[in-house]
Amino acid sequence: MNSLYMPKDSLIHSLDPRTKMLFVVFVVASSFILNDPALQLVFLVALFPLVVLAKVVKPYLISIQFLLLFAVLIMTVHGIYNPIGVTPVFEIFGGLTFKYESMVYASVMSFRILVIGTAAVLFVMTTHPSDMASALVKWKVPHSFAFILLSTFQIIPIIAREAKIVMEAQQARCLDVKGSLIQRVKNLVPMFAPLFIITFMKVHQLSYVLECRAFSRKGEKTSLRETKIGSLDYTFLLGMLGFLAFEIYLKLFMMGSLQLTTDALLTYSLFGTWIVFGFMIIKFVVKQFQGKIGGAN
Amino acid sequence: MEPYISVKNVSHKYPNGVTAIKDINLDIHEGEVVAILGSNGSGKTTLVKHFNGLLKPTKGEITVGTMNTKKERISKLSSQVGYVFQNPNHQTFLPSVRQELAYGCKNLKMAEEDIETRVQKAIDLFQLKERLDDNPFDLNSSQRKEVAMASIMAVSPKVIVLDEPTTGQDHKGCKRVLELVRMFKREGHIVVLITHDMHLIGELNCRTVVMNQSEKIADDHASVVFSDKGIMEEAGLQPPQITQFANQITSFDETKTYLTVESIIEWMKANKEEDVKVGTGS
Repeated sequence: MNSLYMPKDSLIHSLDPRTKMLFVVFVVASSFILNDPALQLVFLVALFPLVVLAKVVKPYLISIQFLLLFAVLIMTVHGIYNPIGVTPVFEIFGGLTFKYESMVYASVMSFRILVIGTAAVLFVMTTHPSDMASALVKWKVPHSFAFILLSTFQIIPIIAREAKIVMEAQQARCLDVKGSLIQRVKNLVPMFAPLFIITFMKVHQLSYVLECRAFSRKGEKTSLRETKIGSLDYTFLLGMLGFLAFEIYLKLFMMGSLQLTTDALLTYSLFGTWIVFGFMIIKFVVKQFQGKIGGAN
Repeated sequence: MEPYISVKNVSHKYPNGVTAIKDINLDIHEGEVVAILGSNGSGKTTLVKHFNGLLKPTKGEITVGTMNTKKERISKLSSQVGYVFQNPNHQTFLPSVRQELAYGCKNLKMAEEDIETRVQKAIDLFQLKERLDDNPFDLNSSQRKEVAMASIMAVSPKVIVLDEPTTGQDHKGCKRVLELVRMFKREGHIVVLITHDMHLIGELNCRTVVMNQSEKIADDHASVVFSDKGIMEEAGLQPPQITQFANQITSFDETKTYLTVESIIEWMKANKEEDVKVGTGS
């Protein structure tokens, strides 16, 4: 099956999909409970060992790059322009000042994106889509609904492949895809019209194929891939529960005395995202350049 | 004579690291019909996608006419190399056949009258007069394929590339493809065919290039290639049934390869086989 799933043999992979779904819910909840940049940063760092444990470090870093783009944008734009800021922290050229309150706001937002993104990536990369569907069915989710979710995972790569063929087919009909912006917008019609038609045809076909294999039969269904909640899952769930209790305790009773967020932390995390972003740009430019060089030989 | 398409030491490596074609050398001259054969994944499609610049060689060079494919835009190359995709649904999207035919010319920003004459020519050649206002999606698959070919033809490229034109076609559709290829040749086009249809190649009696595991392993006339057992076996190909039959009958001229039923009948007539009566039935 074509999806983001990375078949590996790891502790995280062997967890039940339901545990991992709960884990995502837990992370989302935590990211809202821990309404403080320092704590969220700690949380983000704490999630990383799980990524290492799941043996998906490299693909994780590749996919998290896109989220980092959001983080850079939010931290920079909000840090300067968000009107809630009053206390200046530091100034960059042109009289643009980063303010404490807006930086806190921006950091919370962007760390939240990164934290939730990490959990989501971890879930998608370590869970076989079929496992997820069968786990949902065990939660009494209607079978057809689970299938809708499952087929979404399947159809995205198929559409992507078809889109590439359509693009080539239209270029073969002298369509200039590298024209001006207006031209490119106009080109969306020859791109998407065949793509939509083909997708509808495929979906239509799929419904026949499913019916031929008794998809809409009433009653209980068995699954080829069985999932089971074992002791590992219970340990994991217990850990999450403990962590959640600790977070709530922290939030309710200690927020007054605990003041981890400082100017320095905010500034460094801002610089950190800038530096990583800078590396990404450099890497991108070098790759483009290499492509040009490689293409000329 | 200078070749029209000249492929020099071309290799292509996809971004995922797979080398799809390796050190291909190929010259295609004006007026030629070239069939490209090979099992699935042997690199046939990758090779022809280089002709109109959909893929750029990672090594080597391809010249089409006077253009180096690496330096030209696909849209410009496409005016010289028309590529008919296997599935017409990827190409057709306009509500009428007439618009479909004019589409390529419009992309090239030709003058209105010029487009009109070209479309008219395509209509005549493909006998599409009655279907002009039909929606391509209402046509059956062989008609739709014909419309796709006609829309490429309307641009009147020098080279026409057909990707598996007979796949999924009924007997009538296959015969029509054969007619169309002959028509393209008559009209002075170079035709490059990717196909698994041995019968079609036998009928066309044309130059045949065999690809196997990213490399070109044979490039000769169909009769020579089909009689080379080693190459056919290596590429996992089987000659047309009539050729297989002729190869087993020792009384036939062993120096010759028979590609069509007609050629065998001819031989029989020439040798006055008394016992064999050739009737008008099948």
